[in-house]
Amino acid sequence: MKRQRVAAVLAGAAAVLLPVFVRSQFALDMAILTLFYVGLTAAWNLVTFSGRLSLGHAAFFGLGAYTATLLFVRAGIPPVIGAAVAVVVSLLGGLLMVLVMVRLRGPFFTLASIAFAEVLQLVATHWRSLTDGSVGLHIPFRPGWQNLTFTSKEPYYYIALALAVLSVWLGHRLYHSSTGYFLRAASSDEEACQALGVNIKRAQAAALLWSAGMTGLLGVFYAYFIYVIEPTTFFSMELFSLQPALNGIIGGVGTVWGPVLGALVMTPLGEYLRTFLGAMQQGLHFLVYGLVLLVIVRVLPGGFMSIITGVRARNDDRGSGANERGRSYTAAS
Amino acid sequence: MFELTLQAIVSGLLVGGVYALMAAGLNLIFGVVRIINFAHGDLMMVAMYAVYWLFTLSGIDPYVAVLVVAPALFLLGVFLQRVVIRPIQGSSPLMIIFATVAVSLVLQNLALMLFQGDFRSVQTSYSIAVLDAGPVLVSVPRLIAFAASILLFAGLFLFLRYTYVGKALRAVAENRTVARLMGIRVERIYLLAFGLGSALAGIAGVLMMPFASAYPTVGTIYTLLAFVVVVLGGLGSMEGTVVAGLAVGLIETLTGTFISPAVKEIAYFGLFIVILLIRPQGFFGLGKGTEEVGLK
Repeated sequence: MKRQRVAAVLAGAAAVLLPVFVRSQFALDMAILTLFYVGLTAAWNLVTFSGRLSLGHAAFFGLGAYTATLLFVRAGIPPVIGAAVAVVVSLLGGLLMVLVMVRLRGPFFTLASIAFAEVLQLVATHWRSLTDGSVGLHIPFRPGWQNLTFTSKEPYYYIALALAVLSVWLGHRLYHSSTGYFLRAASSDEEACQALGVNIKRAQAAALLWSAGMTGLLGVFYAYFIYVIEPTTFFSMELFSLQPALNGIIGGVGTVWGPVLGALVMTPLGEYLRTFLGAMQQGLHFLVYGLVLLVIVRVLPGGFMSIITGVRARNDDRGSGANERGRSYTAAS
Repeated sequence: MFELTLQAIVSGLLVGGVYALMAAGLNLIFGVVRIINFAHGDLMMVAMYAVYWLFTLSGIDPYVAVLVVAPALFLLGVFLQRVVIRPIQGSSPLMIIFATVAVSLVLQNLALMLFQGDFRSVQTSYSIAVLDAGPVLVSVPRLIAFAASILLFAGLFLFLRYTYVGKALRAVAENRTVARLMGIRVERIYLLAFGLGSALAGIAGVLMMPFASAYPTVGTIYTLLAFVVVVLGGLGSMEGTVVAGLAVGLIETLTGTFISPAVKEIAYFGLFIVILLIRPQGFFGLGKGTEEVGLK
């Protein structure tokens, strides 16, 4: 336990000091993107505690990004207030998804989530009077804290770090709360859980809403990070629905730290492939994701996380509980 | 106004026939193997590219290409079942979703790597041929696609109903344990079902190619479309799939004609969500084994 705490403090210090030592703009960009995906994956992961797989989180991402950007561009409302409104709008989108979730499981929830994001993308594309359609909206470049626009990368880095920490912290809190226990119990047997008097639908709704709100907030961050917002990017199934899901599954679905690990490993790898080989070979980035996922499904259903928990279980196999736990991650997924 | 409506109805029914054929493959795989294949539309994409290259490189007509493409897709389906699905069959439904999503990603991005993101279409002599049938104009390739789909459906029904193998397929769909006890080699039936389902997706791709374009992500929309049809018609129900395919085609052209082309996709995805919410078992009853893939 103590060793873990020391490791956490060291990792935190390294994360805070990173921009001081890393002067390369490319490396800093990569770090920002990685932290952004850690946040996004951890936010996506909240829904998986209830054993459901969403491939439609781009919906919340786009809702958040569009709300804040529209408020700023069309009404001059500063992004700090815009972000708050954006979270509310993402939560409203989350409420719609809750209606779907309480009725559907397995592949049908997944399909409905894809359809939900697709519908929103189509609406954003065709509602030209509001969103300027596929032309997109530009966030005017007026540097300053009040506009969340900066001339250097460092502030973005610290915002991304804060959002990532917030997102992982939400996951940690939820996982160890009574709601989290309800969700994990329900993911193995929903009926038994309800028979014991647990209001499982409320727990599921709570997890989805936290997830939607956090994803919307990250959407706002990303809009201000790249200044331009248009439907095919911000409602992109590949970038904001699939990629967090893949990071999460590869890292270890249903755990708190697995998805973090997945995002930390896969984002730099993906960016590296995209930047250095992407020019020659478009598609290589997601091809690698697909192949890694195929291997994971086949040989390591618990993801990267099950390697760590497996090793830990072997190191202190006198504590018989640890081994059980290592196995239950696999079962929960 | 009347002619416009009639035109929309005819076009809708024609395209709906192909949707039904594509969805039939998905439904067959679901009914027999009990998995939801998220890569179904991508199999169709593979077939579309195959037609494109056969036509562009060696001038083989799309309708002739089906003789190569359908068996190739059958083999691809068998391969996927044997290598990807069989080892994890029986694990959680979530794992199987991951596996087919991974297949979809691999196929899409291989296509992107090999052929870039361009839209590719074949220009045959009959691509824009039109039949003047009184008040309506009928596109020749669409009519061929519809007729071929209906013929294939008839063949599929006869095959499932009267042949030994067809009966074995239905037996496994009905109850795999009893089927195994009766001496049916269930693992082989799975391979066959996945192969047939993929071949049907492939044929649908071939039939669409004279009037549609191939691009790497074309499958995503057709996967969703196939699910709309299957869910609307009822999982496991072939008759339902035919009716639902035609219905989805009609909805598409009617909303496209009378509201706006932009609305047609919103219409069927919206419809999909609404149907899942109010009647997830579809309109032709709940197929057996839906609980195995995670639906109540």
